[in-house]
Amino acid sequence: MPGIATMTLDNMFCTRCGDGFESNEKIVNSNGELWHTNCFVCAQCFRVFPDGVFYEFEGRKYCERDFQVLFAPCCGKCGEFVIGRVIKAMNSNWHPNCFRCEECDLVLADAGFIKHGNRALCHACNARVKADGLQNYMCHKCHGVIDGEPLRFRGEVYHGYHFSCATCSVELDHTAREVKSRPGYAANDVNNLFCLRCHDKMGIPICGACRRPIEERIVTALGKHWHVEHFVCAKCEKPFHGQRHYERRGLAYCELHYHQLFGNMCHVCNQRVAGDVFTALNKAWCVHHFACSVCDAPLSTRSKFYECDERPACRRCYEKFPVELRRRLRRAREYTVRRN
Amino acid sequence: MSHQPPVSCIPNTGKMSKAKKVIEEAKEINNPEIDLVDKGITSLDEVPGLYQLTNITRLTLSHNKISTVPAGLANLINLEILNFANNHIEELPVSLSSLPKLRILNVSLNRLNSLPRGFGAFPVLEILDLTYNNLNEKVLPGNFFMIESLRALYLGDNDFEILPAEVGNLKNLQILSMRENDLIEVPRELGELTRLRELHLQGNRLLVLPPEIGSLDLASNKSVLRLEGNFWVTPIEDQLKLGPSHVLDYLRSETYKVLYSRHLAAKPPPPPQTLDKSKKASRARS
Repeated sequence: MPGIATMTLDNMFCTRCGDGFESNEKIVNSNGELWHTNCFVCAQCFRVFPDGVFYEFEGRKYCERDFQVLFAPCCGKCGEFVIGRVIKAMNSNWHPNCFRCEECDLVLADAGFIKHGNRALCHACNARVKADGLQNYMCHKCHGVIDGEPLRFRGEVYHGYHFSCATCSVELDHTAREVKSRPGYAANDVNNLFCLRCHDKMGIPICGACRRPIEERIVTALGKHWHVEHFVCAKCEKPFHGQRHYERRGLAYCELHYHQLFGNMCHVCNQRVAGDVFTALNKAWCVHHFACSVCDAPLSTRSKFYECDERPACRRCYEKFPVELRRRLRRAREYTVRRN
Repeated sequence: MSHQPPVSCIPNTGKMSKAKKVIEEAKEINNPEIDLVDKGITSLDEVPGLYQLTNITRLTLSHNKISTVPAGLANLINLEILNFANNHIEELPVSLSSLPKLRILNVSLNRLNSLPRGFGAFPVLEILDLTYNNLNEKVLPGNFFMIESLRALYLGDNDFEILPAEVGNLKNLQILSMRENDLIEVPRELGELTRLRELHLQGNRLLVLPPEIGSLDLASNKSVLRLEGNFWVTPIEDQLKLGPSHVLDYLRSETYKVLYSRHLAAKPPPPPQTLDKSKKASRARS
């Protein structure tokens, strides 16, 4: 056993398990550390290192495979482990040879790159793309660049001149309307393009809110047509979705806001007055809630009552008011009578 | 007092037995609404069996001589309406504000000099009537303007000189009466009460109104705006002669905004107190 001549078996211990060695046992020596052969294994899979090759990480030794699985970065392009130089860019790791300009394939590792809409480009390509791009659309049919607005059809963009109106055959432009469904037609029969003139003549209803054609469910109310989701309460702007609405002066309201704004909310119970309404003093009451504000005694339509702070007080209560208060109330009454 | 009635040795028994009868009847038929109006009651402890009526929703005690409200009344947890109008109450227990269903509380025509700390904790109170007492801004508890559920607040015939800016917290307020107080200013925050439909400011010491009032919907045919009996600056007084809606139009004008900011800068002394309140019944000593 070379190299350990000065040591004796008594003061030699395995680095992993701490036990001593048998006199005729094989001992592994790695950089001065001693191991049982069974202890000198990968920290992850506990198997002997193939060809004795191991990788060390934070004081622990791993076989090549486990080291890569655990710690080596994966290339964003080829998916292989990156050993050696790692390029970190665009939120990924790359082999230096895999990180290339997405336009011209130039290796970018040393040349540098520019991020252009989530693509890594070399300086030259970036300048070119920026110059001629300017968000132009590419026609799905001829792959030429579209100047101005594209015609949209079945989710793609086209030059208008590739199409003509399904009714009058006039050449189309971006104002053409795609009709996806029509009453009385199966879905495959339609999905055609029309010029604006012909489209308007087809009688497709226009939404009273957004002024766009309605091709799905239609709500008809207030003498207009509406997209279901555009027929909303004028106050809270929530769609009615088939729930009852209340009309007033050409506007529609949900139940809550109609009554809150125009309705008869009972002054006592704060609920919508169902049935007969008692109206007085700028307020409304359920008939059975109309009562003296001082003693809660019910008042009928024929009861005489006095007004104090725009609320009714029955005669009996009024007469129990302090004299000086009655005098002031009388004066206030005279003031309002004089005004009216 | 020369015409005093002969002294009776069994005071009030006639009326008290009536109160007892009302309670017994209510128990028998399970009546949830109790009327004890004008029964000569001086203390609620004299009404036998009242605290056992935990199912009642309304208790009306108007026109009695009650001077203290026992805290135990808060045991009547189903109360929605509680009416103490025209009694001799000088203070209220804070426990009332824990009544979980109380919607309407009427303590008008009493002798309240203050409100207890924490009084603003009512969970669902909608109408609070404190008309004709001896209240002012200094005796309100800190959380008074936290009663967000409040629809109507009646503070007429009290002694307020300033309406606190926190009134702007009462987002649901539809009615506010400050009739015949001593108000020398109202806050801009009043303009935040977008649901306000009734505003009584008559009989105060106001010179100007914040321009923000002009944005409130107080001119419609369902609204009430009472402004008479103040010390309005001439342009407001002139518009008031034409009607409250003209005042609102004027408050919205640029001319008025300038006048208002100049007025604030000049800080003129407040007008004198005009109402003689010494005769108020709320001032009586028990």
